[in-house]
Amino acid sequence: MAIAVKLDDLLHDRRMTLTGLAERVGITIVNLSILKTGKARAIRFSTLEAICAALACQPGDILEFLPDAAEEAEAA
Amino acid sequence: MPRSDSAVLPIAHVVLRILIVVNWMGGAAILALLTATIVAESWTMTALGITPASGIPAMLMGLRSIAALGLIGVPLNDLVLRRLVAIVGTVRRGDPFVAANALRLQAIAWTLLALQLLSMAIGAVGKAISTPQNPVALDAGFSINGWLAVLLTFILARIFAEGARMRDDLEGTV
Repeated sequence: MAIAVKLDDLLHDRRMTLTGLAERVGITIVNLSILKTGKARAIRFSTLEAICAALACQPGDILEFLPDAAEEAEAA
Repeated sequence: MPRSDSAVLPIAHVVLRILIVVNWMGGAAILALLTATIVAESWTMTALGITPASGIPAMLMGLRSIAALGLIGVPLNDLVLRRLVAIVGTVRRGDPFVAANALRLQAIAWTLLALQLLSMAIGAVGKAISTPQNPVALDAGFSINGWLAVLLTFILARIFAEGARMRDDLEGTV
């Protein structure tokens, strides 16, 4: 997918674990793990809002559009 | 899930399994009677206490046709019942909104349509051979409820197809 999830980097910067984030945003570790590994197909605004609030960041800090990956996906 | 619902599904499963067996037993009985009237007609008539004067032997071809049409219904009923068992199985596993169930319901709808046509054919034969002396009263023919069931099943199949698609969309949503 051309959208990369940078949750790992953010957690590292904030010295926070996935379990800690899960507790703060009220989302299961399983779902956060799916998001972190880029396996999610969609993200709710409510989830994005909760993560942004917990990590004190903007949606753009979590998600990144990768044009090269988009081209590769279209070619495949 | 409410407790009453959890009891309904195992009961439905058992009832459907019993109906599958009863359907084939009924089919076997019809086949046996049909075969007997062909292979040993006079013996069968005597065994059933039917006399030539009763007028029933003259209706025999029509009655055989009804039995033969009834036999066609047996595998069709089986198809509906087995698909219902499979659908109940997915509901019991808590995963009914799958594409397979939409296809099963569509197959059931087409089969119900075929059964309605069969019922109308049986009703027509029954009406044709019925006489005032020997009226043929069959639970067959055109049925508003039957056709409504066909329509509802087609609609339900479409609902399940949409439900499966929406569920598929939601599956990867975080």
